[in-house]
Amino acid sequence: MIKYEQTQLSNGLTVIANRDTASRMAAVNILYKVGARDENPNRTGLAHLFEHLMFRGTHLIPDFDIPVQMACGENNAFTNNDYTDFYITLPCDNLETALWLESDRMTGLNLSAEACEIEKRVVIEEFRQRYLNQPYGDLNMLLREMVYTTHPYRWATIGLSPDHIAEASIEEIHNFYHRFYHPSNAILSISGDIAAERVFDMAEKWFGGIKPNLDFCPSALPTEPKQTTARRLEVERDVPATTIVIAFHMGNRLSKDFYLGDITSDLLAGGDSARLYEHLIKGKSLFASVNAYISGDVDEGMFVFTGQLLPTTTEQDAEAALWEEIRQLQSGEISDYELEKVKNKFEANTLFGELNVMNKAMNLGYYSMIGDLPLINREIAIYRSLTKEQIADFSRHTFTQENSSTLIYRAKR
Amino acid sequence: MTQPPLTVPATIDVQQATKHIAQNGTPIYVINCPEYEVVRLSFVFHAGSVTQRAPFVASATANMLAEGTEKYSAQQIAERLDYYGSYFDINIDRDYSYITFCSLSKFFPQTAEVINQVILHPTFPSQEVEIYRTKRKQQLAIERRKVETIARENFAKAMFGEQHPYGISYTEERYDTLTSEQIKEHYARRYTAQNCIVVCSGNITDEVLDTIKGIATKIAHGSECGVEDFPAFDTTSERAIQHDGAVQSSIRMGRLLFPRTHPDFIPMQVLSTVLGGYFGSRLMQNLRERNGFTYGVFSAMVNFQQAGYLAIATQVGKEVTERALEEITAEIELLRTQLIPHEELELVKNIMAGEMMRILDGPFGIADVTTENILCGFDNSHIQQNLERIRQTSPEELLTLAQRYLRTEDIVTVVAGDFN
Repeated sequence: MIKYEQTQLSNGLTVIANRDTASRMAAVNILYKVGARDENPNRTGLAHLFEHLMFRGTHLIPDFDIPVQMACGENNAFTNNDYTDFYITLPCDNLETALWLESDRMTGLNLSAEACEIEKRVVIEEFRQRYLNQPYGDLNMLLREMVYTTHPYRWATIGLSPDHIAEASIEEIHNFYHRFYHPSNAILSISGDIAAERVFDMAEKWFGGIKPNLDFCPSALPTEPKQTTARRLEVERDVPATTIVIAFHMGNRLSKDFYLGDITSDLLAGGDSARLYEHLIKGKSLFASVNAYISGDVDEGMFVFTGQLLPTTTEQDAEAALWEEIRQLQSGEISDYELEKVKNKFEANTLFGELNVMNKAMNLGYYSMIGDLPLINREIAIYRSLTKEQIADFSRHTFTQENSSTLIYRAKR
Repeated sequence: MTQPPLTVPATIDVQQATKHIAQNGTPIYVINCPEYEVVRLSFVFHAGSVTQRAPFVASATANMLAEGTEKYSAQQIAERLDYYGSYFDINIDRDYSYITFCSLSKFFPQTAEVINQVILHPTFPSQEVEIYRTKRKQQLAIERRKVETIARENFAKAMFGEQHPYGISYTEERYDTLTSEQIKEHYARRYTAQNCIVVCSGNITDEVLDTIKGIATKIAHGSECGVEDFPAFDTTSERAIQHDGAVQSSIRMGRLLFPRTHPDFIPMQVLSTVLGGYFGSRLMQNLRERNGFTYGVFSAMVNFQQAGYLAIATQVGKEVTERALEEITAEIELLRTQLIPHEELELVKNIMAGEMMRILDGPFGIADVTTENILCGFDNSHIQQNLERIRQTSPEELLTLAQRYLRTEDIVTVVAGDFN
């Protein structure tokens, strides 16, 4: 249970406070509602590039990191398809330093041609290090491009190609900043040993003077058309083991299917006693590793099965084994014990996740972003309420041939 | 608006661990934080790869403790832990193996039953060993496609010697020779009371402590402790490993120094932080910010039980490999020839203080630091001493240390990449 209070400043900034009396540290999280989904298909990777640019200093504070570090703080950020998140942890006594920095870079960013050029090169190296110079590095890119034909989830956060990043103009970068980085598109959440009233006063002091962007309207995204036939892609790469991926479309973050998808993925792959590990690695010895997960996106996302084959396993046997697991779920072969287990596990993981200030601040921002902050304390009850009939029903309408995309990522002999 | 005033914490108060001794002599250290309704329990054995007698045996022993015991099969263990939302974590390095269990307080008794089996009664069934072998062999083959893995393994060889227990690595094929007997032999020889410490944190009530003592006291007596055959180090200064098709080269540079117990370890930690220990460090400024050669570059002091070293690690574009090596060398040279400005050193000291506070935030972090202190022969008052030692470090001292320890001819350089 995370207790919180929230308010909204007159410029539209959402502010959420959680009091943690056990810690000497505070966490300041600021979430901007912009991600790879908001990008132009011809200029992908911009949201993530922009996350990097947010650390390049402002006219007032030329180096962002030094004041954070002088305050014994640490900061970082991440971008995904739906949002961009920045966080600072530091001794609670220095909380205002974080607010000073965050409010300053919401408006005063130094987007010089030189800064942009250097950051573009860093991001292109990141592209190469994590996606091109890594075994299986392009697997998720290939999968997205097959599963989505229309929705911007078609590309990964890093973008479709390093060229998109290289070619981004200063003007495009400036427009992106003005369009998405302003109070009414941001959520500030803070956890630490400090009263909510104080947090709200400080937020007003540091952010209250920032002008809202009155013209702002969120991106209108194209709807992904319903998939009607099975898709398949086979590629060959210089990797040691063949990997098979089967992905299905599923419901959005606020739908019932989200929870059913999540709990189904736990039944299949939540820990070493889960089905896929027990059946396919230990029992049938078909895979070296196997997994099932949901992409967890805000809009309609993916349910993904993935398995790395042992050298002795044929692709046909591996694929058939995954579909057999699906069949068992569809016919409702789920025990009460098994279901109770994944529910207990969800509850324990939720509690373990509430032990530090950073997780709490980050979660508060996230639930506010998806539009249902009280949900943060309701999810355990939602998981508790799910039944095996619902899981079987979810499996029947989700795991169909016509809703499937299969990727064979074959090891070169 | 103007910058708000700053406070730099002058002290870090960490509770001392309470020490108990089980009847068989196993020490149990308790960090009691009753405000958290969780229990975390770690067993640390001096059973790392330096103590193994055949390839991969030490890691296999640690990783297979829960793959079948006298009372439970691997599946039943996984099943029981999962059912109560408990989990365990296994870590192994060259010196030690660390087995850590976490559970909600309300499910600790049920979890303890499993812990008892995993720590005291593992059976290492041949069939499970076979699955493990195949899986790990494939994973290692994949790891070794990465230039960073190749560089890391070769850096250890270059620093300690190809055959030295701290430097050696084995081909994936050697997994084929791993047997259940070898693992049982290793377990019997190293998972003993003389080689073990226990550290627990969270809400440690008297009942919880009694349960822990009950398990610890049954750890077998052994005859062997310490490490036999620890040869001298045999350092070579350069290794270059060709890896066809790599678009980036992985670089490791550094040198052999001394373990944490050495009086210069902390100031050398300060120096390595200046060089590459934080986001705005000199190497990051140079290689990433000014030149765009890399996504990241880091340096740190690494501690082993009988050695310690400075390591610099990065991955750079293939075509700028030579220039990156030159820039790293130039940054080291700068440490040897010029005093670090006071402002920069203040910044680094605050970063290090902040890092200590962050690690020590929460019961699990305190337990980790306590464990590290105990293994080096310290208690938790060492944390405050470290903080003070960091504070005392001066630019003059660091210049002297750089001149003594970072001479160009002493630096080991390893590069893995495509040189064609």
